[in-house]
Amino acid sequence: MARYFENGAGELVPDALSGFARAHADLVAYDSADGYVTARHPSPMRRVGLLSGGGSGHEPMHTGYVGAGMLDAACPGRIFASPHNRQIFRASLAVAGPEGVLHLVKNYTGDRINFGIAAERLADAGIACSRVLVDDDLASDSDGVAAGRRGTGATVLLEKVLGGAADTGMGRTELVELGTALAGRCRTLAAASAAHHAPATGEPAFALPLGELEYGVGIHGERADRTRSQGQVGALVEDMTGALLDALRPGPDEPVVALVNGLGSVTSLELYGIFGELGRVLDARRVRLARHLVGDHVTALDMRGFSLTLMVADPVTLEFYDAPVHTPALRW
Amino acid sequence: MTIPAFDAAQTREWTHRFAESVYATEAELTALDQQAGDGDFGTNLAAGVQAAGPLLERVGARSGPADVMGAMATAFLDEIGGTSGPLFGLLFQALSRAAARSGPGLTTAALAEGVAEGLAAIRRVGDASPGDKTLVDALSPAVDALRAAADAPPAAALATAAAGAWRGVRDTAALTARMGRASYLGERATGIPDPGAVGVALFFASAGETVRALEPHLTPG
Repeated sequence: MARYFENGAGELVPDALSGFARAHADLVAYDSADGYVTARHPSPMRRVGLLSGGGSGHEPMHTGYVGAGMLDAACPGRIFASPHNRQIFRASLAVAGPEGVLHLVKNYTGDRINFGIAAERLADAGIACSRVLVDDDLASDSDGVAAGRRGTGATVLLEKVLGGAADTGMGRTELVELGTALAGRCRTLAAASAAHHAPATGEPAFALPLGELEYGVGIHGERADRTRSQGQVGALVEDMTGALLDALRPGPDEPVVALVNGLGSVTSLELYGIFGELGRVLDARRVRLARHLVGDHVTALDMRGFSLTLMVADPVTLEFYDAPVHTPALRW
Repeated sequence: MTIPAFDAAQTREWTHRFAESVYATEAELTALDQQAGDGDFGTNLAAGVQAAGPLLERVGARSGPADVMGAMATAFLDEIGGTSGPLFGLLFQALSRAAARSGPGLTTAALAEGVAEGLAAIRRVGDASPGDKTLVDALSPAVDALRAAADAPPAAALATAAAGAWRGVRDTAALTARMGRASYLGERATGIPDPGAVGVALFFASAGETVRALEPHLTPG
C-alpha cells in the first residue's frame, strides 16, 4: 500500500487519467463518464477510426499513443483488467469513420471477449468493425497453450504503422490485411530480475532470488516456464535476440524494427546498454536494423525487467512507420 | 389466420418473471458459481435484472416486444461487470432485432431466429462450442427446440425450449470445462452444472412461470 503514491487502491487509475487529460489537453480529450480517451486532431484523411485498449498498469500504452498519426481512441480498464464493452462500444461510436472502426486487440481472453461484445453491438448499430489481433509474445508460443501467444510490445509498433497507413485514407479491409500480416512478423521476449508490486498490497507479485531472471515473463507478472541465472547482459541479449530471429527468420534483404522496452523499473542507463548489445548481435548476424525505439512503452507497473521486440519490415511498412505522429508518448 | 405472437405486455411479463426467478434463486446460483466459477454470477445476473427495471418502466405503452428486449439488452450490456452478464445482453439484443423484423408481435419464428442469432453472437465472442461447459450448452438445445416447435404458439414453444435448456444444464454437470468460468477449475468443477447455463434455462422457464428453486430442475428424472 505505502509503496504507491495514491489516494487509495481504486483511485490510482481515475486520478491518473484526469491528470493525463489535463497534462495533454492540447492532444487528447478524456470522457470520464464513458471511460475513454480520444484524439483532438485526427487526420481528415482517415476513413477508419483506430481504437485500442486494455488493462491499466502498462503506461504509456494505450492512452499515451492517442493522437494525430496513431490511435483515435483508447479504452483503459482497471489495473491489469480488460476494459468494459460499454467503454469500447461508446468510444467506437465516437471515432468511427466512413468505413467504421478497427480494433487493435492484445490476445488475452478478457480483452478478446469485451472487444468481441462491443463488435457485436457495433454490428447491431450498423457500424462496420474489424479486428487485428496482436500476439507477439514468444514465451507463450507453445502447443500446450490453447489461448495462443499473448499480445505485448508489438502493439505499439502496430499502432504506429496502422496509424500511418490510416492517415493515407486506406480502407478498413486493407488495414486489417496489413495489420494481420504485420502482427505475424513481430515477436517479443521479456526478462525480469524482480516482480512488480501489486498496488492493493504493496507486495511483490512473485518471489525471485537475487541473480535469477524470470525468462519469458508476461506483462501482468505471468510467470515464465523457467528461470535462468542473470549473468552478463550481453549473453542474455544475444540469447533473446537469437530466439526472436529464429522465430521470425527475416529474409536477406528484410530489415527489422526494434523496440527495447522497459517494464517499469529498469533505468534508461540499462536500456541503452541493452540496445547497444542488440545492435551488436544484429550486426554480427547481418540483420539490418532499420528503425528503433528505446524506452518505457509497454510497462508492467514497476517490474524490473525489459522486453525486446523485433518486427520484420518492408519499405511500405517503414514509410508508414516514418509518417508524422504527435501523441503524448510518441512524436516525430 | 393470425400467427400467434407475444405482444409487448406478455413480453414484459416474461422479463418480470425472469427477474423474480433470478431473485428467488440468487443464493443457489451463487453457491453453484462458488463451486464452478468465481462466485459472482448470481450477483451479476441479479444486478442485470435490477438495472433493467427502470429501463423497462420507461418503455412506453405503444412500444412492442422489440423495445422490451432492447431495454433488457441495454441493461445487461451496459451496466453489468464481468463477461457473462453482457453475454446475456447479446441474447436480448438478438431477440430485440428479430422482434423488430417480425412485426408488432413476437412470433415463434422470430423467437427461434433471435435465439439462434444470439447463440451465434455468443459463440463468436466467447469462442465456445457445445460441450465446453458454458451457457452455450443450454442455449443450443433451446434453439433446436424452438425450431422444432415452429408451428406451436410462443408459450408452448418456449416451454419446450426451457425443457431443452434444463436438459442441457444437467448435461453440463458431467463435463469438464475447456472455456469460460469453470475452465480454471478443471476437473474440480466436474459434477457441478454450469451457472451460466442455469441462467439461460431460468430465462426460458420464466416465459411460463416464476422459478422458485433450482434444485428440482437439476436432478435428473
